[in-house]
Amino acid sequence: MRLTSKSLGPIVVVILFGGILFTTLMGWWQTESVKEPVKYTTGELAGEYNPADIRGSYTFGDINRLFNIPLEDLRVAFGLPSDADVAAFQAKSLEEMYSGLEQEIGTGSLRLFVALYNHLPYDLVEDALPAPAVDLLIARGGLTEEQLAYLETHTVSLDAAAVQEAAATPAAIATPEATAAATEEHVPEAGLVAGKTTFQDLLDWGVSQEKIEEIIGGPLPVARGMLVKDYCTQNGLSFSTIKTALQAAVDAAQP
Amino acid sequence: MKRLFRNKLWVRSLVQIFFFVLVALISLNHTLAEAGKGIPFLSSASLHSLCPFGGVVSIYQYATVGTFVQKIHESSFVLMILGFLLALLFGPVFCGWVCPLGTFQEWIARLGRKLFKPRRYNHFIPYKVDRWLRFLRYGVLAWVLYMTAVTGKLIFAEVDPYHALFNLWSSEVAVGGLIVLGIVSVASLFVERPFCKYACPYGAVLGIFNLFRVFSIRRNPGTCKLDMACNRVCPMNIPVASMTVVRDHQCISCLKCTSENVCPVAGTVDFATAGRKS
Repeated sequence: MRLTSKSLGPIVVVILFGGILFTTLMGWWQTESVKEPVKYTTGELAGEYNPADIRGSYTFGDINRLFNIPLEDLRVAFGLPSDADVAAFQAKSLEEMYSGLEQEIGTGSLRLFVALYNHLPYDLVEDALPAPAVDLLIARGGLTEEQLAYLETHTVSLDAAAVQEAAATPAAIATPEATAAATEEHVPEAGLVAGKTTFQDLLDWGVSQEKIEEIIGGPLPVARGMLVKDYCTQNGLSFSTIKTALQAAVDAAQP
Repeated sequence: MKRLFRNKLWVRSLVQIFFFVLVALISLNHTLAEAGKGIPFLSSASLHSLCPFGGVVSIYQYATVGTFVQKIHESSFVLMILGFLLALLFGPVFCGWVCPLGTFQEWIARLGRKLFKPRRYNHFIPYKVDRWLRFLRYGVLAWVLYMTAVTGKLIFAEVDPYHALFNLWSSEVAVGGLIVLGIVSVASLFVERPFCKYACPYGAVLGIFNLFRVFSIRRNPGTCKLDMACNRVCPMNIPVASMTVVRDHQCISCLKCTSENVCPVAGTVDFATAGRKS
């Protein structure tokens, strides 16, 4: 059997688009993550979405849909302008928008805000919130003493200029210069277990693989660059508990 | 347009233009959609989700952990399987007909052919050196697979000229990718498809299928005049005139060497199965 370009071209196109059509009909063709966080599996919250699994690609519209938080509250909390397309704003844009602040405002901040807004359990570890978000949460009430104490040290004050500048670039990036409260770039401290710590970091800091596996109660993930925090979320572990144990292991491994 | 149809392989040119424009529009729409201004009825998928190589680098993580590498989705797996199916039947036809970066290099090559004499263009590197350089892409493939498995991240995106080419207007473009794209663009003035030949890890994977693909470039020694026309026109510098079946791992099934295009004797060089009638 012989093929020419006049037959090979259509065959290639048909196989590719036919395959895409078929997998679309079967529900296998997905070009983005399913915007559904994991759910709590135990306790009275079983079946509810866990804000700890909110990803950077989630938009405020997704948050509104999944956690029933009004878009206007999200807009005010995170300093978006009144004419911004709030529903299309992605969580990962926060990090760029508020880059250069002493404490990072990013996807973790959104997770914390959602958890506190809906009174859901969340590990209070290092995530910070912008001042308008904290004001909104306090005004709504229902925060515990522990949460209020945590927010006292994890609130990032944005002066008017910074918020205005961020507001001028809807769903986009505010430059470091625009964030007037900016200080030096936050660099994770070596040997300090935090939300950005990966399994490779732990190994680099001298903690043995066996010790890590003992603490997390399972084999070390193949992807050593995986965040410990993400691993805990995916496996239903308390990051703060794991973090404490890992920190002790890191301290013990230090010369 | 008339010029396009004067080309004996105009169907291939048309398919290449189609995929180049399609990928460019989808990538542009991805940027527009993130700003809330997407074009309706056109996919706004990320380039990563439409890259079959994303599926290849995810195989290990998917098999061991059950998850995809960051930014990779089910669509990459689907395209990977379709790419393998095409390669099993026709060899790396994805490289020769679909890949927009390959098309981009071919377009620059046209300028290169005008700058240099036909016999000089695409023959700057001595054969003895070039022959071994062609295996470099397997080194790239091994590096990418290892690093992706260890980090769980899409490492290749940082140096991927394909991603850079279709993200020139977005903040997602990586400096490393831009540098490689610049090098590839300049090199394409001297060598045809330099990235495909020496560095493309996906081409390396698909190239293996040439060893057992169903349809192959087949030469009939009985009618061959040995005028070397097929050798001269091959973008990948494969000595077709010295083979009866092209099993070279670099062949991209472009059909330029066939009797349909350059060979003056009908039925002498064909793209056919083993049981073809000459």
